[in-house]
Amino acid sequence: MSVRADNRLADGPMHPVGCGSCGAQVLARKSSWQQTTVQWDETATATCTDWDPGSATRGRFPVCEQMRASIAQAVVDGLLPVVDTRS
Amino acid sequence: MTQTTDEVRTIEAEALPTRFARGWHCIGLERNFRDGKPHTVTAFGKKLVVWADSSGELKVLDAYCRHMGGDLSQGTVKGDEIACPFHDWRWGGDGRCKQIPYARRVPLRARTAAWPTMSQDGLLFVWNDPEGNPPIAEQAIPRIDGGPDAEGWTDWAWYETRVDTNCREIIDNVVDMAHFFYVHHAFPTYFKNTFEGHTATQLQRGVSRDDLRPSEKAIGGPKRKGNTSVATYHGPSFMIDDLIYHYEAMDDVRTVLINCHYPIDENSFVLMYGISLQRPEAEDEDPAEAQALAEKMVATTRIGFEQDVQIWKNKTRIDNPLLCEEDGPVYQLRRWYEQFYVDVADIDSAMTDRFEFELDTTKPNEAWQREVEENLARRAAEDAPVPQDA
Repeated sequence: MSVRADNRLADGPMHPVGCGSCGAQVLARKSSWQQTTVQWDETATATCTDWDPGSATRGRFPVCEQMRASIAQAVVDGLLPVVDTRS
Repeated sequence: MTQTTDEVRTIEAEALPTRFARGWHCIGLERNFRDGKPHTVTAFGKKLVVWADSSGELKVLDAYCRHMGGDLSQGTVKGDEIACPFHDWRWGGDGRCKQIPYARRVPLRARTAAWPTMSQDGLLFVWNDPEGNPPIAEQAIPRIDGGPDAEGWTDWAWYETRVDTNCREIIDNVVDMAHFFYVHHAFPTYFKNTFEGHTATQLQRGVSRDDLRPSEKAIGGPKRKGNTSVATYHGPSFMIDDLIYHYEAMDDVRTVLINCHYPIDENSFVLMYGISLQRPEAEDEDPAEAQALAEKMVATTRIGFEQDVQIWKNKTRIDNPLLCEEDGPVYQLRRWYEQFYVDVADIDSAMTDRFEFELDTTKPNEAWQREVEENLARRAAEDAPVPQDA
């Protein structure tokens, strides 16, 4: 049972985004203005100063406000494309 | 991945996995197993026997007696042991044969498979591990916040049913945002998935679709405005959903919805769900009324699952779903789910690293969008080649 690659990544890959606060580096993708995907790895979670393991299961909605803000800034800076705005 | 536009896409599906997920599986309400009789549970491609020993502790063994293959679940509880109906061999909850009434001594290696168990919040769990290792401490199911053991909450309104398909279908629901609208007539305004370690969470805030309210109509329940839901799979099969319902003509109701299953074999599973709710605090509140509301709610949930089951019964397994940008992270969820089907030594960090997928339709995105467009336009103007003066 091997897991395939997401067909959507072929046309719109993940992009590296660094946190403006702690420097943690994640992979991010926005399929639309409303949608955000974030992939953390071990180094990123170790670097993040706002890391709260298991917070999602306790219903904490935003995971890390600084990373959220950094992703929004990356869009403003043109470093992170929003997939549905491309022609 | 590139394909020409007129090429037909093929649905691909590998053979079903030959092993069953490692982890805690709820096999039902504890009290159903405490009647002094042995119970048959068909799970993980095997037949199991469940009984309570003299101290009330629930025990689970492979049902087939290692002597001549008798079915222990058709036997009798004698003291702490289960006695085989064939030759009365007595097996202890630790898997060892304790006594053979007609023999002077028990032969060497008289040991059968014993399944680690856990009882909490009125539910019985068994640990499945194809590698045969003891339960992983970090993967213990957390105690429920609320539920039947908590003051002021109703007992479980519980329902069990057999579903004839592989259990991956129900796991896919965690990420399937779009099906909430089309199958369950709910409209998520905020949706988030977080996969981390052995947990997969779905956060959802939604409003009911105004054009369709069949669930409430079907049970004569109060009219709902929407809900807030924090639902987490703790391992491969047990989901706790902290679910708050918002009503039009009454206060919010706090509920816990359990959604869990155990595989019978690779082609079928037992789906179980239960609801407990916090009784309203009014002094004249009748506990029976709250229990009746819990029963109504589980009936609503049942309608929802029956809609799912109808789809599952007729659909095909698909390993390469063709997703659009509005779909949820199906592939990433399956990558998370894969960790339970490989040996612990083969778990890749990609299966357990934190992954987040968020959809927020409530954010005022227009202003942000305008700012970015202005920014990009300004930059394009700045980058444009400056005309040379003659």
